Amino acid sequence: MSKSKFIFTTLMLLLVLAVLAICDLCFGSTNLFSIETSNPMFSSILYDIRLPKTLTSIIAGSGLALCGLLMQSLFRNPLAGPYVLGVSSGSSLFVAIATMMISSIHVSGFFIMGKSIVTLFSIMGAFFVTLIILLISRKNKSNVTVLLVGLMLGQILSALQGLIEYMSNADNLKTFVMWGMGSVGSTTLQDLYFVIPIFAITIVASFFFIKPLNAILLNEQYAQNLGVNVNALRLSIIIISAVLVGLITAFCGPIAFVGISVPIASRLFFKTSHHLHQMTFCLLLGACVVLTADVICQVLSSQFMLPINTVTTLIGSPVVIYLLFKSKLSVG
Amino acid sequence: MIEITNLEIGYKSKGKHNSVFKGINLQLHAGDLVGLIGDNGIGKSTLLKTITGNLEPLSGDIKINNKNSSQFTAQQLAQLLSIVVTEKIGGFNLTVWDIVASGRTPYINIFGKLTSEDETIITKALEQLNLLPLKDKLIDELSDGQRQKVMIAKSLAQQTPIIVLDEPTAFLDHTSKHHLFATLKQLCTEQGKLIIVSSHDLELMKTYINKSVTMKENNNIEVK
Repeated sequence: MSKSKFIFTTLMLLLVLAVLAICDLCFGSTNLFSIETSNPMFSSILYDIRLPKTLTSIIAGSGLALCGLLMQSLFRNPLAGPYVLGVSSGSSLFVAIATMMISSIHVSGFFIMGKSIVTLFSIMGAFFVTLIILLISRKNKSNVTVLLVGLMLGQILSALQGLIEYMSNADNLKTFVMWGMGSVGSTTLQDLYFVIPIFAITIVASFFFIKPLNAILLNEQYAQNLGVNVNALRLSIIIISAVLVGLITAFCGPIAFVGISVPIASRLFFKTSHHLHQMTFCLLLGACVVLTADVICQVLSSQFMLPINTVTTLIGSPVVIYLLFKSKLSVG
Repeated sequence: MIEITNLEIGYKSKGKHNSVFKGINLQLHAGDLVGLIGDNGIGKSTLLKTITGNLEPLSGDIKINNKNSSQFTAQQLAQLLSIVVTEKIGGFNLTVWDIVASGRTPYINIFGKLTSEDETIITKALEQLNLLPLKDKLIDELSDGQRQKVMIAKSLAQQTPIIVLDEPTAFLDHTSKHHLFATLKQLCTEQGKLIIVSSHDLELMKTYINKSVTMKENNNIEVK
């Protein structure tokens, strides 16, 4: 992809992202256009509710999409992603453990220490599963086996999570079930002071792996021969992915299909393999997808909260099915 | 250029050494087209992987330009030695240009940006193997013979004095095999590269190579 085409595409995606962000800020149970800007309710809705939600959508979408891209490149498998490989389930299980252990924690509005612990557990869960999948993928190179093991692992972790839920009290169970449906609406501005720096560091860090990621698309042997420290790359990508998935899952719940479908769509739309291009596009496209899902949620259900997972699954699943039928295409 | 002394090759697993072949002594020089011959499972690929640094020697020495290969950094080794393996590369929107450009990995910055000099080298590598008209094609759209040529072009773009090819003729028809070996021979004679190639195709090897290394049972190795 030429430099000018890359810049043009990036600007177009930024424009779409800005439009969607404005829509997300304005639409909801109260239309922001219908309130005077001098009205205190305007700034209260905008800064306390809408802005955190819009920023969370951008962070969740771009983070999960980037994470999916990193995993797909590392495993050289276009069907890899945090949800499919059970990484989100690992986060969920560990969040369940943390939530049930610290019974005073509530998903919306619990004190910062509690949220930090939940986030830490969430990251640990994601790291644990990614490490297992990676070890299996090194033993068995078959993409199908890795995916099946990921799916099975996800089922095992979900079953364990069910067991914890069964043993928990009614309040914790309700809190956890609500969290599990996925929502970008429960993050506060204070939470974002904690989330944004971690998110920014992982995003910046991932851009330092463009060169080795480009090389590993050939295969590990070629990458090693091209001077790439493959073990260091693996560990770095696992840490970045685990932090991103863990962070996003802790605050938004497990969001399905963004991690797998956005990198696939990005490769289908933008015919490039270079990670500078694909990482940029995935970040922007991922943010656009979750913002769109959130706008749809608000437009369809302004009086009640439609789980964002419903919409992301409805958007993401057809993309994956499309890929399976078009597997000859150069998406992976 | 490459001096192998008392080399034992194999795999390390849980602290144990699983020896595949030992007592290898070889001297390979610039301009040599070396054919590595032997039955399946004898250790040809293990030897090639050990030479390229993908596997550690169990014992013995490999010296490249009079320096022990373990003393080179990964970056330095990547500028000395390039590989072409049997595994097919594909997907992820990889074009012919992308793959040949990956040969510049040891020389470019961390963001993978190619300079105009890099682009000239890549174009030259494509021209040398008559691949320039195919540069924007996806690798998945090429024939097996064309794919092998792309991987060799990647090695040329890597600008290494040594190229190692593991069974490059595995998926090729008769004409493509001869064309490939003729290209390798040309690289040795015109550019003074040392090329080591493993193959089961003895007749083909005899036609082109100037040195053969035959690995036989009971750690017997024959150099002609």
